[in-house]
Amino acid sequence: MTHWAMVIDLNKCLGCLTCTVACEVENYLQGISWGRVIDFEDGEYPNVRRTLLPMPCMHCEEPACVNVCPTEATIRREDGIVIIDYDKCIGCRLCMIACPYDSRVYVEKVELPISLSLLKTEVRSKSQILKERIVSKCTFCVHKIDKAKETGKTPGKDPEVTPTCVNTCVGNARHFGDLDDPEGEVSKLVRSMRAFVLYEEAKTRPSVYYLSKQRR
Amino acid sequence: MELIPTYCYQCYNGPDPILVKVEDGIAIGIEQNYALAPFHPSGGRICSKAYGLIEKLYNPHRVRSPLLRTNSNKGRNEDPKWKEISWDEALNILADKLRRVKEKGGIDENGYPRIALTLGAAGTPEGHFGLLTVFLSTMFRWTGPIDLTIGTGQGVKCYHSEHVFGEFWHRAFMVVADLPRTKYLLSFGHNDVSSDGASAWRLAQAKEQGLKMVHVEPHLSVTGAFADKVIFIKPKTDAIFLFSMIHVILHEKNWKEVCDLEFLKKMTNSPYLIGPNGYYIRDKETKKPLIWDLVDNKQKVYDDPSIKDLALEGEYEVSGVEVGPDGVIWEHESFKCKTSFQLLIEAVKDYSPEFAEKICDIPVGTIREVTEEFLKNACLGATIEIDGEELPYRPVAIQLGKTVNNGPGGYETCWARTVLLMLVGALEVPGGAIGPGSRLNPPYETRWMSVEPGPDGFMNQYLNPTERGKWPPKVMFRAPLTALIPLAGSRGWATGIAPFTLAWMFMDEPPENWPKPSPPDVWIIYRANPVRTQWDPELVERVMKKFPFVVHFTYVIDETSWYADLILPDHTDLEGYQLCSVFSKHWFSLWDYYGYILKQPVVKPVHNTMDMTDIIVELMDRLGLLKEFNSRINRGSGTGIPLSGENYDFRLDEDRKHTSEEIWDRICKAATAMLSGGKEVYGMDWFKKNSVYLKPYPKLERYLYYVLKKSDLRFEIPYQERVKRVGEELKNRLHERGIHWWDKQLKEYQAIPCAKDFSKELDEYYRRNGVDPEEYDMWLIASRSPCLSWTGNVSNPRMLTAAARALDFGGIVVSSRAAERRGIKHGDIVVIESPLGRKEGKVIVRGGQRPDVALLVGQLGQWATPYAKDLLVPNVSDFIKLDLDILDAGGSACDLAKVKIYRV
Repeated sequence: MTHWAMVIDLNKCLGCLTCTVACEVENYLQGISWGRVIDFEDGEYPNVRRTLLPMPCMHCEEPACVNVCPTEATIRREDGIVIIDYDKCIGCRLCMIACPYDSRVYVEKVELPISLSLLKTEVRSKSQILKERIVSKCTFCVHKIDKAKETGKTPGKDPEVTPTCVNTCVGNARHFGDLDDPEGEVSKLVRSMRAFVLYEEAKTRPSVYYLSKQRR
Repeated sequence: MELIPTYCYQCYNGPDPILVKVEDGIAIGIEQNYALAPFHPSGGRICSKAYGLIEKLYNPHRVRSPLLRTNSNKGRNEDPKWKEISWDEALNILADKLRRVKEKGGIDENGYPRIALTLGAAGTPEGHFGLLTVFLSTMFRWTGPIDLTIGTGQGVKCYHSEHVFGEFWHRAFMVVADLPRTKYLLSFGHNDVSSDGASAWRLAQAKEQGLKMVHVEPHLSVTGAFADKVIFIKPKTDAIFLFSMIHVILHEKNWKEVCDLEFLKKMTNSPYLIGPNGYYIRDKETKKPLIWDLVDNKQKVYDDPSIKDLALEGEYEVSGVEVGPDGVIWEHESFKCKTSFQLLIEAVKDYSPEFAEKICDIPVGTIREVTEEFLKNACLGATIEIDGEELPYRPVAIQLGKTVNNGPGGYETCWARTVLLMLVGALEVPGGAIGPGSRLNPPYETRWMSVEPGPDGFMNQYLNPTERGKWPPKVMFRAPLTALIPLAGSRGWATGIAPFTLAWMFMDEPPENWPKPSPPDVWIIYRANPVRTQWDPELVERVMKKFPFVVHFTYVIDETSWYADLILPDHTDLEGYQLCSVFSKHWFSLWDYYGYILKQPVVKPVHNTMDMTDIIVELMDRLGLLKEFNSRINRGSGTGIPLSGENYDFRLDEDRKHTSEEIWDRICKAATAMLSGGKEVYGMDWFKKNSVYLKPYPKLERYLYYVLKKSDLRFEIPYQERVKRVGEELKNRLHERGIHWWDKQLKEYQAIPCAKDFSKELDEYYRRNGVDPEEYDMWLIASRSPCLSWTGNVSNPRMLTAAARALDFGGIVVSSRAAERRGIKHGDIVVIESPLGRKEGKVIVRGGQRPDVALLVGQLGQWATPYAKDLLVPNVSDFIKLDLDILDAGGSACDLAKVKIYRV
């Protein structure tokens, strides 16, 4: 079995927002973003910290969004990736309420990136995935991962089949791989003392792990 | 779908290889060029700005054809009433103006060049302006000098003092840590993360290898968030902090144990003896500086092969001469003289952490702790092998940000930083602070070649003359670079750091006994927006209005276009051709390779725009200069790539007009033939597929220490005899002409500077102008956004939206304590007011900032630039007057104002 997972090393996240912009470009998003980096502070001058926290969809093992979906538009695939079938989604937004990570974005009206709007309709349909009045979210760049088999390439190693936020991370903070491979890089990192998941209490068992920030 | 390789060049670290996804003739995506990851300084990874290039290409507000102004009145409220014209018409108009300059003579009646050219920030236009440099050299031969000193934001928004003194001391236009080798980095507002991909990448790599980073800044930037420790310093007191660190080392520690004595004795002027007038004591015959040999107990010249041990501290009785300004010689017999190191020890005596605490608002313990960590990490005695050579390994560095090293206090801060590095021998060695490139001392390809033996055991310096008879210079620039800034010289990029502030001020109103700079007959601006980037926009606009003919190369109408007569839209970044040098263009990125990368059109031009090289060819043809121009290309002028050499010949037919594609094809072939000694020849077609041609670059060449040591040369630090002499001479020249308005600046030419509370100096300046500084109780400072820095990205909707994701972007940022005190809440509209300006804006309240500081992220405040003009965020420039009183000796000033903030 395969269980795709991501590890984000907060020691190396720079807060440069490259992942956010590159994700928008890769997924032809306009006016919405799937690859947020939350920017917040704790405390007051002079005892204050600023944290940059990348927040992709957590692709939970027990996703709260799946069970609440009345049309079974959201499913968790066998390889662990949680996806939305936009043809089935009715835009009821129950999943948005259920998601403890605020990972989902409602699309009222599809805004096209200007480049796509210039394409002929039949060409554009290859790239345009969103529809009106649906809920959308990060897909772990499933369109790339699904090319792994046919190309013989490995997600997490070969950029062609690896999520864009991992490829583009300037600090090299993101790692991607199969959690079911105990010897894989991702599994090793997840076993480290620094590894944690966000909001564990929600009990959705995220597939996105973080490595805590260390200050010297 | 096609993946077309080209480059992103939107910051000083360009070019970075990218791939553009093209579907059915439309560019729809950007990716890094994975194949080049092993060669690229950040593993192929590029920053967010590259991903915005498509929005730039298809920006709905692009200028779609050449535009001619039809409203001859100029002003903010005067619609230029643009008329679309053909390229033929546009180029005829410009050629006609240039021809008229030739007829009148290139220099006007006041001695100023009639043609002026202004380029955008940090060399980024170089990646896009095609053969503009060949155009310049051709024009230079035809009409005479071109004034490159009517500037944009340089001087007020750059690393000005570092440019001048970094080059002077160690050929470092910029000074950076040798990351990832550095283990301890002390950074004063040096916002690497918000700057470019390679700098950020190197920081993250270093962190993984154990770097500790301490960030000193009045607010918590993204770089501060990344650091291990943040120290909230009061603005403009950085010099005092650094002086205090020197004090701790020299007065509280046993400096003989913690300093690199070998480095001090052999690689610096620390042992040189100083005479009573402040100049080196020299041997009467050879005029070489004297030192004291502790073993033989007698004076010797600094390079005497019999020297056994040089005295670093103390006072010695010597006989010799001092050579002062204008050749004055003082003779001394048996005179007690101190070493320059002794004078350094004495100069920092009063800068205890207790003294610094009061000024910098940093606890004494923190200053001592940082100094201890700095010393502990310096690894005295450690060595490292680089390319088979053993070099000292000193993994500590100090970086300085913009406002920190600009304007009053800039020299003192840069000097103190360099002295600290000197004390532990961390200057230009692995792990320490290095200069990735020189810009004032060509050639740019390698700093080693710019090292020539000069007087007194130091590198030769090409300074602007200050001696009687050689001053003033024959050709005057509107920003008096050659006349007033001797240390910058006039080679390489010197015009790029001219005192641009003075150009604008003097064109508005010249000071006493100074020839009034007349407006240029033709002013060409390439990818720059001086109205918005220079201070005091009202003054700049008032001056600009009087310029008879302004040509603006731009892709959208911005504030500067508003005052232009002719708009020329050259192709945007994804539409034109250019072969760009990889290595010599780098600043912070530290490529391990050198070579060339091709920019190629990824789609057909979207609008009626032209390739920059084709524009220049057309202009040359219209002026009858085609043969001269082609011949210059053949000789490699401007590109550094001669089209013929020992093993190759790709010269252009000089009598014929060539297209941009043809010319660059030949340059591609010549470049590869040149680098491979004729063994490999690749034309445009090869580059279109492969993007780059690279050769390994020796890592050893990064370290200037090696070449200085080999050449028996020393770093000219800590004592600044030459600076002092040059300053005295300049004073003499100015006073001879009855010029006293530069006296404040002349005081900066000190052999050993003393740090002052520069924040207080600004307070005094306000008081002199009848303003109570207490009333304006906040410091307004600026910082960068990682999505906008260096670029014209404020007109790019995707990048503006991304920038707004940062907690400190999109308003006037104040601390929660400051907000509470003023009854202001997050999101309120407030007035921000200085004695010189008043603007409204939305407030952002945060915890991570000093209560006496207001912050503006990004250079905003646009009123014409699309998208940016809709933001309610002012610019520091709106609150400061251009005034001699707040400029330093380099003509630079700090982007900092005193303001008050209150609810509307």
